[in-house]
Amino acid sequence: MTQTASTTDALVTKGLGVSYNKFVALADVDLNIRENSVHSIIGPNGAGKTTLFHALTGRVRPSSGKITLGGRDITNLSDNERVRRGIARSFQVTSLFPDLSVHENLRLAAQGRTPWQALAMWRRAESNHEAMATVDEMLARLSLTRVATRAAGELAHGQQRRLEVGMAMAARPRVILMDEPTSGMGIDDIETMKDLIQGLASDHTVLFIEHNMGIVMNISDTVTVLRLGRKLVEGPPAMVRDDPEVKKAYLGNMITGDIA
Amino acid sequence: MLINKPFFQFGLVVLTVLALPFFLRSGIMASEILIYGMVVAASNLLLGYTGLLSFGQGIFFGTGSYLAGIVLTRTGVPVGLMLPMAAVLGTVIATLVGGLSIRRQGVYFVMLTLAFSQLFYFLAYTFSDLTGGDNGLLDVPRPMLNGEQLVDPWSYYAYVGVCFVLVFAAMLLVTQSTFGRTLIAVRENEERAAAIGFPVRVFKIAAFAISGAVTAFAGALHAMLIGVAPLSSIEYHTSEIILVMTIIGGSSSLYASVLGASFYLLMADTLSSIWPRWLLLLGLVLVVVALFLQKGLWGLVEKIYALLTHNRIPPEVEPSDLGTDTTAKGE
Ligand SMILES: Nc1ncnc2c1ncn2[C@@H]1O[C@H](COP(=O)(O)OP(=O)(O)OP(=O)(O)O)[C@@H](O)[C@H]1O
Ligand SMILES: [Mg+2]
Repeated sequence: MTQTASTTDALVTKGLGVSYNKFVALADVDLNIRENSVHSIIGPNGAGKTTLFHALTGRVRPSSGKITLGGRDITNLSDNERVRRGIARSFQVTSLFPDLSVHENLRLAAQGRTPWQALAMWRRAESNHEAMATVDEMLARLSLTRVATRAAGELAHGQQRRLEVGMAMAARPRVILMDEPTSGMGIDDIETMKDLIQGLASDHTVLFIEHNMGIVMNISDTVTVLRLGRKLVEGPPAMVRDDPEVKKAYLGNMITGDIA
Repeated sequence: MLINKPFFQFGLVVLTVLALPFFLRSGIMASEILIYGMVVAASNLLLGYTGLLSFGQGIFFGTGSYLAGIVLTRTGVPVGLMLPMAAVLGTVIATLVGGLSIRRQGVYFVMLTLAFSQLFYFLAYTFSDLTGGDNGLLDVPRPMLNGEQLVDPWSYYAYVGVCFVLVFAAMLLVTQSTFGRTLIAVRENEERAAAIGFPVRVFKIAAFAISGAVTAFAGALHAMLIGVAPLSSIEYHTSEIILVMTIIGGSSSLYASVLGASFYLLMADTLSSIWPRWLLLLGLVLVVVALFLQKGLWGLVEKIYALLTHNRIPPEVEPSDLGTDTTAKGE
């Protein structure tokens, strides 16, 4: 758990709702994500966790409610504008540039924060020294330096998952959203990922979706439980674990280990 | 791969301009190869680099062709000024057509470019005061150099050759830039490109704009080559030929397009003189490419090069190396 978590909110939602045609995937969600805290979202399959991320990052338009980042309304901003404001994400299903090198994947992610610069048709990609420095730093933090020149699609699963998270980190966001960063990982990889996420809280606000209760209970400051698109319970890990409602929601889907 | 490096590609481009006169008897044919080489490379920028299959390239080609016809037969504007004008007009129209078409994806995007292609054909046909309708615009003059018109096909070839080298150098630069690298990212995974912050639409429109500029520029050169700005330049069939050349050549490098254009034009020239149903053979070639040569003729060149240099994707991480990497476990 992080002691540095401040009392100001980085990201706030009010009455957030998302409908896919007539199906209500998310309804009436109020969230207050404290600056530099580690906040996890849990809930059974289909609870609307990924949908919540889609709404926060601008991938889908909310059908109701409001989202503010650092006090400023971002509800109507496009996905790429939100990256410039400081929101970056990783995906539940790994989404990389598979034929491009690991280095190029990260370089693009670092460049994405100043995308208009990339319209320069005469400037070499490598001339963005800041982005290049970010790439080297990320490679080291993710222990991917050795495979930097390999195509992302050729990496082992665990490495791909780390790169997936690295794509979000490379944008140096204020709020980093990770959708099941440990999905499909082996024991050792999970431990590395846990340390990585924990380390992120020193200079990011961390919001992540996770099925692995070990990690959730271990490193979260706050846990929000979603069920059927609504917020069920929210609080510190110990409180959430013992909540009877949560136990019911997870019935037959016990909150131990990897449920995915 | 060395043969895809920009300086090597540029070398090939220069070599092509210097070598064609030794292999071809017709200066018209040689010029046409260079002109279509530019046009196909511009189409490749969309298909190969950005992942956009545009059936609208003929619009931009026709635009350049008509602009040359109108400006050179009705005004006193010199060729040196007309050519940049063609590029600008090509940019404007491509921005318009591209900007509207990319509002839809996949099949619908392709259908929109096709629809625009038809639309512009009928516009050209209808406004015959401007375009000459069925007849096109006749007597489009060639450029003047030192007070002399480049009547001889080979002297005009030299003119086109210089343009070709310059345009290609610019396009190589574009594909190597941060911009070009972003286009490749869009082609690879559009959703991710947007998620890491790129306004994907803007990049697609910019790709269209460049493609339109180059295509219209080449269209103007073509009108001066054949002395006519024909209605056929803006026909749907022109768009189709451009795409066919692009696919035959392959899309893993810009020079692939020169290969595609040369192959098509030379084959059409040779076959049509011996057999009027030569298009049937072209159909067969396309089938072969689609079935066995999906990276086009350039893909074949790459394969041969790899065989010659034993350059089969070197393993950059030794197996023993992987063992020490804790992350490789559990896979
Ligand atoms: N594009 C879509 N169109 C229609 N329905 C959708 C769409 N995406 C998700 N849904 C539905 O919305 C609900 C919430 O999906 P979501 O992916 O947000 O769940 P989740 O909590 O992330 O689940 P999981 O743990 O399986 O990842 C599910 O019932 C799902 O079927
Ligand atoms: Mg999900």
